[in-house]
Order: sequence, then structure tokens, then C-alpha cells
Amino acid sequence: MLEQYIPIFILIALAVLIAVAFIILSYLLGPARPNKPKLGPYESGMDPIGQAKERYSVGFYIIAMEFIVFDLEVVFIYPWAVRYQEFGPGTLWAMVLFITILLLGLVYTLKKGSFKWDMLPGSPAK
Amino acid sequence: MESVNELLTISPIVIIGFAGLFVMMLDAFTGNARWSFYASLFFCLAALAGAVQNVLGPTGTSFYSLVYYGGTASFGAVLVLTGTLFSLCLSKDYLEQTGNHIAEVYSLVLFAAFGMLLLVQANHMIVLFLGIESMSIALYALAGLLRDQKKSVEAALKYFLLGAFSTGFLLYGIALLYGSTGSLALPEIAEASDKGVMYWAGVGLLFTGFFFKVSAVPFHMWTPDVYQGSPTTVTAFMATASKSAAFVAFILVLSRALPDTSQQWQEVLWIFAVFTMVIGNLLALVQENIKRMLAYSSIAHAGYIMVGLAATSGAAYSAVLYYLFAYTLMNVGAFGVVAYYECHKNCDFTEIKNYAGLGFKKPIMGILMSVFLFSMVGIPPFAGFIGKYRVFAAAIDEGLISLVIIGVLASAISVYYYLSVLVYLYMKEDETGMVMKRPSTLYSLALIILALLTIYFGVHPGLLTDFLGSFYSVTW
Amino acid sequence: MEFNILGIGVLTWLVFLPVLGMLLVLLIPGNNKNAIRWTALGITALQLVLAVIVTCLFDRSAAGVNDPQSFQFIEQFRWIAVESVPWIGKIEILYFLGIDGLSILMVLLTAIISVIGVISSWNIEKMVKGYFVLYLLLVTGMMGVFVALDFFLFFIFWEVMLLPMYFLIGIWGGPRREYAAIKFFIYTFFGGVLMLLVMLGLYFSVAYTNEAGEMVHTFNLLHMMNSANFVEGSIFYGLDTTWRYIAWVALFVSFAIKVPLFPFHTWLPDAHVEAPTPISVILAGVLLKLGTYGMLRILYPILPDGTVYFMYLMAFLGMISIIYGALCAMAQDDFKKLIAYSSISHMGIVMLGMASLTNQGTVGAVLQMFNHGTITAMLFLTVGVLYDRTHKRGLYDFGGIANQMPKYTGIAMVALFASLGLPGLSGFVSEFFSFLGAFDAFRWITIISVIGIVLTAAYVLWTIQRVFLGEGKEEHNSLADLTGRELVMFVPLLLIVIFLGVYPGPAIELMNTSISTLVEFVGLAGK
Repeated sequence: MLEQYIPIFILIALAVLIAVAFIILSYLLGPARPNKPKLGPYESGMDPIGQAKERYSVGFYIIAMEFIVFDLEVVFIYPWAVRYQEFGPGTLWAMVLFITILLLGLVYTLKKGSFKWDMLPGSPAK
Repeated sequence: MESVNELLTISPIVIIGFAGLFVMMLDAFTGNARWSFYASLFFCLAALAGAVQNVLGPTGTSFYSLVYYGGTASFGAVLVLTGTLFSLCLSKDYLEQTGNHIAEVYSLVLFAAFGMLLLVQANHMIVLFLGIESMSIALYALAGLLRDQKKSVEAALKYFLLGAFSTGFLLYGIALLYGSTGSLALPEIAEASDKGVMYWAGVGLLFTGFFFKVSAVPFHMWTPDVYQGSPTTVTAFMATASKSAAFVAFILVLSRALPDTSQQWQEVLWIFAVFTMVIGNLLALVQENIKRMLAYSSIAHAGYIMVGLAATSGAAYSAVLYYLFAYTLMNVGAFGVVAYYECHKNCDFTEIKNYAGLGFKKPIMGILMSVFLFSMVGIPPFAGFIGKYRVFAAAIDEGLISLVIIGVLASAISVYYYLSVLVYLYMKEDETGMVMKRPSTLYSLALIILALLTIYFGVHPGLLTDFLGSFYSVTW
Repeated sequence: MEFNILGIGVLTWLVFLPVLGMLLVLLIPGNNKNAIRWTALGITALQLVLAVIVTCLFDRSAAGVNDPQSFQFIEQFRWIAVESVPWIGKIEILYFLGIDGLSILMVLLTAIISVIGVISSWNIEKMVKGYFVLYLLLVTGMMGVFVALDFFLFFIFWEVMLLPMYFLIGIWGGPRREYAAIKFFIYTFFGGVLMLLVMLGLYFSVAYTNEAGEMVHTFNLLHMMNSANFVEGSIFYGLDTTWRYIAWVALFVSFAIKVPLFPFHTWLPDAHVEAPTPISVILAGVLLKLGTYGMLRILYPILPDGTVYFMYLMAFLGMISIIYGALCAMAQDDFKKLIAYSSISHMGIVMLGMASLTNQGTVGAVLQMFNHGTITAMLFLTVGVLYDRTHKRGLYDFGGIANQMPKYTGIAMVALFASLGLPGLSGFVSEFFSFLGAFDAFRWITIISVIGIVLTAAYVLWTIQRVFLGEGKEEHNSLADLTGRELVMFVPLLLIVIFLGVYPGPAIELMNTSISTLVEFVGLAGK
């Protein structure tokens, strides 16, 4: 029963091993010249310490929302692609329609300038 | 050819869905909101034509029986599109004058209408859920359109939080129904034999979701705030089209998925109808803001409609359809007049006491308002009377006499608050000496058509009532 | 009996002529006030001519009441009709008009009072166009109620009256007009709602078999009167059942509000005091009669068992109204309010006469309806004349008017004495008949009610003393006597009051057959 999971266990073990090895190697081999920003956690350039209720630029939200839309699109398309043979060619057109609608959404946001970072309201680049 | 015919059965959905995208693109490339407005009017008319054609045709299911067309479903589409069309006609002027004329309004309205159309034609719980969600999400955004006004933001947030919550109930109900019956298609749910605890829990949660959407007491808390905070023409759209859609879907679910347990859920509807009518009317009595007053009045109307649902006969369902039609006409009209008045004095003109003496300044507007309000009271010869009369008659025929007595008495209460608006319009003196604007031709035309239809369907209801009765092969 | 003009029945003309007038008035520009007034007058005068023709052609020997064959000027076609359905049967709502002895006097009264109302509206200057449009709509509603023989149609006309009345009181009324208007509306609407409930119940209980042998649910009043048409097992099936009694009470309340009968009367004084003079005239002259007419036309023959069962209640409420109205009238110092309360008292007499279920009593009641219509119209016009000149209505504000306005005083005296019931004037005849009939049926109630006559005499004479006799007030020295227009509106009423006082025969003959049929029918069916 458990035997069939052995390759997976090997895979997990390998992954852990490699990850740990790289961290240790970079610690041993890399030059260590620490400064404050370098030591801080990665926060997209924001100051990690401050009030919990701090306001972010609305640009982050817009980008994040668009990311989610396309992310979910993948979730939808991937299983379809895997089972395409069974669904038959008719579903191709359905998927084309689906992607077209998404594409129109993309065109809309492009035209409205949501990817022009410096045009977003309250963007840090202004 | 086969697939073209299938497409025709959902022609309103296709047209409106395409229209939403088209209007969005039009805005993206031209940035001119007026073009979006005219385009959306055009598509709405086209979709209405499609819906009317479907309603005259046969009934059936299409798209792997995901969609139901003809009869009640297509009449639901007609209702939704009527509400959408007229509130669109009113929107342009109102939004221009309040300084919010942006094209996104039109695409959002069309997306919401798309969801409603999906909802009324759903033959499958997933389609129904999709419809409810695409309708709701667009409406949340519309409610928050005036984003620099606190009331509007409050409306959007409240609507979103409570709406998301109720959708959860609905979805859970659908899941439980699936668990107990093994299917999501409406007719197959009806065929399932197991009616255990899980089934009833599912029905209960499903009802909760619907009660929220039609704002039945005690799930009505959001209605006054949302109706007040949203731009008035959007409120007109929400109050009519979304309510009609939810009720039509409710009818279809009741009559097609849950017909054989009607004995049991009839009592649930009975109780909720009583609460909705009584509390809606009582709370409307004390409102000072006309939009809140109309919101509570729409809750009360939902109560009368639920009397019809509780009657569960074909005659009652067709009476409800007639009522919804009358309700759409008079409510869009009333909100339209309110929107016209609101555009004076910094667009903050919605207290009933502000209306003192206005009835004489623009006599036509005053008369229109009187027609709509009297129709809501339910006085002949207006359509509202025939609707109420038909619903109550069908309920009496099913033996719900005490329910009808409560309903009729509750509607007697309603006279007071509708008339108090007219008291201000006609029987108080205007002390501010304000000058009234001239409404645009399209605006007045839309309102006049609504009033004429309200009168026409009150004086000569026969054709439509016969036709609606034919959906259930009953006549009244 | 049939009488068509341009292929349309005369009753349709009677009812919808004012609507035609309404459209005409709408076409006239609003600043051309005189044209509007003359149009309204012309239309109502034409209506009066038609009403008189109908009265002349009326066949006095035909009974009507529950027999479709002996109704006159019948017009009947299906208004909302639906094809047959297996399990409910056919359904129909009829456009069904006709008159019999019960309604002929009321039709005539409506036509007369409408013309008088237009003449007395001549000095209304505020939004003349809107006023006459609503006025003519009101006339249509009133006339429609009196000629409708289908319950649904009756109800529609009944409710249609509400709208114009509401605005006429609310816009053209006195200082507390919005209160009075909304009170009037809510009271009557509540009554309408009760009527609607009973109407629905009756509708589902009554079905008749038509020529094709199908069961048809119907609103036809005449079918509802036939107890064989009640479907077995339906809610109002049978006789003397609880549901039938409940229905009787609900319907009775809805009519009693309109009469108005104690304790549903409180809207009346407010409405009268705030309404402009012509509207008071219409209200007292015609609208109050709708309540008692509705009882005779609908309540009595459709629910005769309830009528017999509750006849003491009706008589008792009639008695209370007589005494209470008279006492209240005595306590008023406002002339118009006094007349309003006297109306309650006089309508109590109608109720008492009707409740007796005797021939004399009911004839007296219907005649009293007509006479009270003319007399009270005169009284309200009397107040209106004084109010126009002085803008006062208080009884103590006047005195010695007889010296300044002799013609006016003469006419007012006739009206007041007629209302008091002086022999030789019309009020006496009908009150006498009502009490006579009532005495047969309920001795003690009638004896107590007659005290009301004494009270009436007291307040009428006291009013005459305070307003017309005694020392004149200085500021009233220059009061002008009646103008030609005012004489035109008073004189016809005056002639009617005197004529019917001396020779009531023609009026009684018009209704005698119908009423004896009705009384007999109710007596038979109810016992």
C-alpha cells in the first residue's frame, strides 16, 4: 500500500535537501555586507514597520485584482485542456469565447490606464 | 441551424451580454458616455424584442437543459428588460445633473441585467447561482457609484456584506439540495423521492437566499439604506428589475423544483408574507425621506407578492407576474419623478417636506407622481389595483382568507404614507420660491409612457391577464 | 325599455358625458376661466336633460331589484371575460348598467346637484381648469355607482370617486384641508377595502350556469341575489352562517362609513368644514346617499339573512345617529359644522326607515335620501352665500340678516324649516313615512328617535334666531342680497322642496314597485 508513495517521499526528501543545501552554500560562499534595507523583509519597497491600518496605494489593489482574474482563468482553462479530447471540439469555441471576454476586460483596463503605474491615483512614483 | 435556434431561445441574454461588452469597449476607445447611453438603449430594445418573441413562442429547455425558455421565464425577461429600459432612459439626465455621467454605469447596468436574465431563465441551480452572482456584483458596484458621498459608500458596503452573506446561504442550500436529491436541475429535484432533513435544510437555506434578494422581512435591513444611498435611477433599476428577476426565479423554483412539498413551505411563505406586509407598511409610515419611504413601500409590495406565492396555484403565479409588471411600471415611474425633483438645490432634495407646493409648479410631473402613487395604493383604474386584486383573489380561491384579510388591511395603512407625499405636493405652500428645471424630452416621454401604461393596464387588463394565465393553462 | 343616442345607451351617456366634458375642459387654455365654467355647466345641464328624459320614459310598473328582465335601459357586455377552464369555470366581469325604482331618483338627484354644484363653483378662482376636471370626474363616479349592476364595476366607480374628492377638499379647501382630505380618504378607503374583501368572497361563492351549460363565476349583482347560485361548500354558501354574518358586518361597515352612521361619522364634520361650498353640496347632496343606496342595492338582497338578523342593530345605530347628530348640532357655533351634524342626524332617519324592512319605512327612507339631498344642498349653499360675503361662519358672528338680505332669508328659512320637518315641505313627508314604517317594526327605538325631531326643531329655531333675527351687526349693514346667479341655484331646489312637500306622489310612484319587491324579497329570503 505505502510502497507506491516511495517515489514521492524521495522527491520530498530531495527537495528539502537541495533547498537546505543552497541556503547553507550561499551562507558559506557569498560575501556578507549587510545594511538595513537588505536585512529587512521583502515588502515591495514599503516600510515594513508602522501602523496596521496604513493605507496602500490603490495601484496595488488594481494590479492584485487583475492578477487574481488571470490566475483564476488558468485554474479554469487547465483542467479543460487536460480533458479536451473527451469534451470534443465544440468546447474549443466556448473556450475561445471565454478568453475573448477576458481579453476584452484586459483591453478595457489597458485603455483605462491601469498598468501605467505613474498614472495611478496616489502612486508612489508621482 | 440547430444551434442557431438554441441561441434564439436565449437571445435576450446573448444580446445584453454582448451589449455590456460592447458598451465597455465603446467607453474604452471613445471615452464618450453619451454613445454608451444610446448604444445601451438600442441593445435593450433589441433584447426586449427578442424576449417578446420568446414569450409568444413555445416553452422548453435548451443548452443541455440548463436554460428554460418561453412562458414565465421569458416573461420574466420582458419584466427585467422593461425595468432596465425605462431606468436607462431616466439615467442619462439624472447622472449628468448630479455630475456622475460615466459610461461604466451603462455597462454595469447591462451586466446586472445579464445576470437577471440568466436568473429568470435558469433551469439549473448553477445557472441560477451564476445569474444571482453576476447580477449582485454589478449592483454592488452601482450602489457605490457616488463614491464621494458617505451614504452611497455605506450603501455599497452594506449591500455587499449582507449580499455576500445571503449568497452563501443560497449556495449552501443548493449544495444540500444536491446532497439530498442528487441533482441540480430543477425538474430533477422535483422528481427525487428522498425528502429528509437534508432536503428541508436545503430548502430553508434556499428560501433565506431568495428572501434576502426580494427583501422580505426580516431580511430587509439593507433595502432602505441601499435604496437611499444609490443614485436614484439606479435605485429604480434595483427596485424593479432585480426584484422582478428574483421573484420570477423564485416562482420557477417553487413551481418546477419544489411542487410536491408545497403544503409545507406554503406555511413558511404565509408567515413571511404577513411580517413583510405589516412591517414594511408600518415602517414606511414614519419615513421622512422619500427614497426610504419608497424602499419600505417596495418591501410591502414584496409582501403582497408573497401572498400570491403562498397561494401556490397557477392562477396565483400568473397574478404575481401581472403584479410584477404593474410594480415595475409604477416604481420606475415614481423613482423617475423623485430623480427629477432631486436634481434641484444641489441634488439633495429627497425629504418629503421639501416637496411642498411642487405639484403646481410642474403640473405634468405632479400628475405623473399622483398616477404612480395612486397605482401603488391600489386604486382603480390603475394597474396596481388589478395586480393587487388578482393576487388577493387567487389567494382567497386557495382558502388563505386570513392572510388576505391581513394583506388588505396592511394595504389600507399604506394609503397614509402615499397620500402624505401628495399632501405636500398639492396642499402645502411652497415658501422657497424655487424655479423648476425643464426635464428633457426623452425623460418626460419615458415617464409619460409609464403613466399611460399604468392606466392602460388598469382599464384594460384583459389581454395581458389572459396571456399570463395561459402559462399555467388557467384563466382568470 | 331602451333608449340609445348614436347607438350608445343612454346610461353610458349619463355616466361618461362628464368624462367627455373633462376632455373638453382639458383642451381649453387654463386662463380662459369663463369658457371652462360654461363648458362644465353645459355638460352637466345636458346630463340633467338626459336624466329628466330617462325619468319621463321610466316605466313605473317594472320592479327591477333582482329580476334582470324588469331593469330598464339595460346595457350589458363582457368587459373582462375569460374562456372556460376545467377547474374554475368561466369568469366574467361585466359592463352592466341598468336602473330600477331604487336608482332612478338617485340618478335624478345626482344630475340636479351636479348642475347646482357647477353654478355655485362660479366664484372659484384658484386653478379653475383643474377644479372642473376633477369635478366632472367626480360626477362620473357618482353617476356610475348609481347605475352599475356589476359588483366589480360598482366598486371601480366607488373608488374612482375618492381621487377627485381627495384633491377637491385638499386643494380648494379651508385651513385644515390636508387633515380633512386625508381623513376622508383613509376612512372611505378602509370601507372600500372591506367591500373588496366581501366582493372577492362573494365572487368565489357565486357561479351560475350560462346558456352553454358552463359554470361561470360572476360579479353580476343580480346573480349574487339568487341564493341558488351559491356554490355548495363555498364560503358564503347557505343561510345564517357565521361567514355570511361576518360578510354582512364588513359590507355594512363599508357602507356605514359613507352614510356616515355613528360611530363611523367622524370624518364628515371635518370634511364638510374644510371643503369649499360646492363640494360640501355634492358631499352632502349625493355622496352620503351612496352608502344607504349601496345597502339597498347590495347588502339587502345579497345577504338578506344577515339583514333580518341585524335589523335591530341597524335601527339602533340609526337611532343613535339621529339623537347624537342632533345633540352635536345643537352644541356647534359654526354654521357649517351644525349642518354637517344635522346631516348625520337626518341620515340616521334614512337608516331607521330602511332597517324596518317595511314598505312605508323603506319608501320613506329612499324619499328621505332624495329630500335630504336637496335640502342639505340648499343649507350648504346658504352657508356659502354668507361665507362669500363675510368670510365668517360662526353663528354668533351674525344677527338680523333678515333686514339686510330679505330674499336670502326667505329661501334660507324654507330650507331650514324643511330640514326641521315642517308639514308642507318635502322633509316632513319622508320623515313621516320613515318613522311610520319604523314604528311598526321597533316601537321603542322609534319613540326614542322621535325625540331627535324635537332636538332638530330646537337647533334649527335657535339658528334662525341667532343668524337671521335679532339685532344686526354694524359691519353687516352693507351686505348685498342674492345675485342672479345665486337665485338660479336656489330656486330649482326651492321648487322641488315645496312641490314634493305638497305632492310627493310622483316621486313615490317612481320607486314604489321596486321597493315593495325588495322588501318582499328580503323578508322572504331572510326568514
